[in-house]
Amino acid sequence: MSALAAYTIIGLSLGGIFSLAALGIVLIYRTTGVLNLAHGAMGMFSTFVAWQVFYGWSHPFWPAWLATAIALLAGLVFAAALGLALEFAVFRNVRTREPVVKAVITIGVLLALQSAASLIWKNNQYHLPIYVVPQTWVWVMPGADVPVGANSILIIAVAVGLAFGLGAFLRYTSFGRAMRAVSDSPTSASLWGVPVSKVSAVSWMLGSLVAALAGILITAQGINFDTTSLTLLIIDALAAALIGGLVSLPLTVLGGFVLGLLETYPTIWIQSIGFPRLVALLVILAVLIVRNPRGFAAVAAK
Amino acid sequence: MTSTSKLMVRVALTLVAFTVLARIPAGFDVGFKFDAALAVIWAFGLLSLVLLTGYVGQISLCQATFAGVGAYGAGMMVSSFHADYLVAVVVGVAAAFALGVVVGLPALRLRGITLAIVTLGIALVFDRYVFQDHAFEWFTGGSGGWRVGEANVFGLRMDSSAHLMAAYVVLLALFCLVALLMVNLHDSGAGRRFRAIRDSELAAATMGVDLTRYKLLAFGLSAAIAGLGGAFYPLVAGSVSPQPFWLFTSLQFAAIAVLMGVRYVPAAALGGVFMAVVPDVLTRFGHGTFLGHQYDISYDWFSIAVGVLLIIQLIVLPDGVWGDIRNRVHHAWAAATAIGTRKVKVA
Repeated sequence: MSALAAYTIIGLSLGGIFSLAALGIVLIYRTTGVLNLAHGAMGMFSTFVAWQVFYGWSHPFWPAWLATAIALLAGLVFAAALGLALEFAVFRNVRTREPVVKAVITIGVLLALQSAASLIWKNNQYHLPIYVVPQTWVWVMPGADVPVGANSILIIAVAVGLAFGLGAFLRYTSFGRAMRAVSDSPTSASLWGVPVSKVSAVSWMLGSLVAALAGILITAQGINFDTTSLTLLIIDALAAALIGGLVSLPLTVLGGFVLGLLETYPTIWIQSIGFPRLVALLVILAVLIVRNPRGFAAVAAK
Repeated sequence: MTSTSKLMVRVALTLVAFTVLARIPAGFDVGFKFDAALAVIWAFGLLSLVLLTGYVGQISLCQATFAGVGAYGAGMMVSSFHADYLVAVVVGVAAAFALGVVVGLPALRLRGITLAIVTLGIALVFDRYVFQDHAFEWFTGGSGGWRVGEANVFGLRMDSSAHLMAAYVVLLALFCLVALLMVNLHDSGAGRRFRAIRDSELAAATMGVDLTRYKLLAFGLSAAIAGLGGAFYPLVAGSVSPQPFWLFTSLQFAAIAVLMGVRYVPAAALGGVFMAVVPDVLTRFGHGTFLGHQYDISYDWFSIAVGVLLIIQLIVLPDGVWGDIRNRVHHAWAAATAIGTRKVKVA
């Protein structure tokens, strides 16, 4: 019983990370029509920037909370700048091209970011975490006697909060309405005076920020990470995003949690690094094949 | 030109290319001979994308997986069953073909970016699970892979280090043959059906093209071509390991195929040379001092360059390096002949 509860907690916090990564993919895909295969790589690079600030450049006399805050800030500012730079330098020039061409361009972005990171930080395994909240804050689940780290709770809360926060932003603010108008039809939105360029710049910035948040929160889990493992988070994030149909934010977050649990429970019996990837692939296949492909194609063709 | 004379020209061009290319690595050291053989193996991978993406319009991000299955299949036959290397190649190609048909099954219902996601997932599963997990040791030979120090071809002993040139010439001859077949496929009945699927699946089905059959055939053939190159990897490198066939090689295949021009067969050869020789030249000669600064160019710089070049190419040269240069030459030629004959074409 307590083992099951422990695995549930691990699965939920893993799922929260998938949800966060998937939210950025859905946001960018809806407003700009770019399926961002480089999403994991973008999050990875920003995470390593935060990590570098925290372990490489922070002063030993700073209190821990200050170093953490500065590292978080540096990672997020870098993420926002990266998203904006990609939009201005690359994706602004290919707005009218086919979705497939845009997706292939993101492969180029992925390769460049991944190799740049492995050039700077090498292919080492890193296990020094950035604890966003102190590691000593632990809440013991009543009845099951399972310790739950505050960082796990934070991940779950941030994922759920961001899904509803972004949903509310898209629904109730005028800029959010502009973003939804662009996602419905960029041409007619621009005819109605919606600033399409500004909208896609903001969605790239927000998407990149969410990806960075997911990456930094992974390190807070104390999981070993390297440049490739964070980049390859993309497949789990895509699986979660596909559960939400690349449209719905709440369904995407739900999909992330379901995927996190599906990938964690088999590890009770199967000790394998690669097996969770198989679970993700099966989820992707199930979603794509079972869902009416015509209805999905209508979404995908936009 | 009639089709027969066109074929003769193609055969003659292929023979000339083969004789020239077969001699080039002879004057270089072992490292470059290895690069030359590797270039042909990668060129097979890129050629498989010319068929699948360039002709049939299907996206695949798991071509290195097919090559890897070919390599592991051939390695298993040689190491465990001590088979003749030709048998090993046949088994490797058959295994890749079978996997290709299986990967083609979801492609019957998917297209475009959804197919890209599925094939990316397949590449990742093979990279992290099949090629590395204990459960598949019968196929992958465990973490050490298969060692192929000596192999028999027609009963003749081949040593991977001493007979590198022989392996290269055999690979090159096979590549020239497959490339010639690919060029001819373009205008054949099957090739027209393939291109009809690329342009519009609905229209192709209306004209009586059996979508299920031809899509599965395209995936199987493409995987077999990638697997044919991969099946020679153990002979050339002396062993198999997961690293050369991991996800990032698949992504590089896709990136370099598009960069060089995914619709053109010669672009695959160009891409293979680019993918094998450039990183080696960079790591060999890319270190020293410049203006008092020590510098050391590693493999990562090559991969960064591939990514950046792909982005620039897709914005500036949409038909790939080979395709756009070819088009410019054709235009220039047409303009020159038009001036010579004083005929003005009215469009």
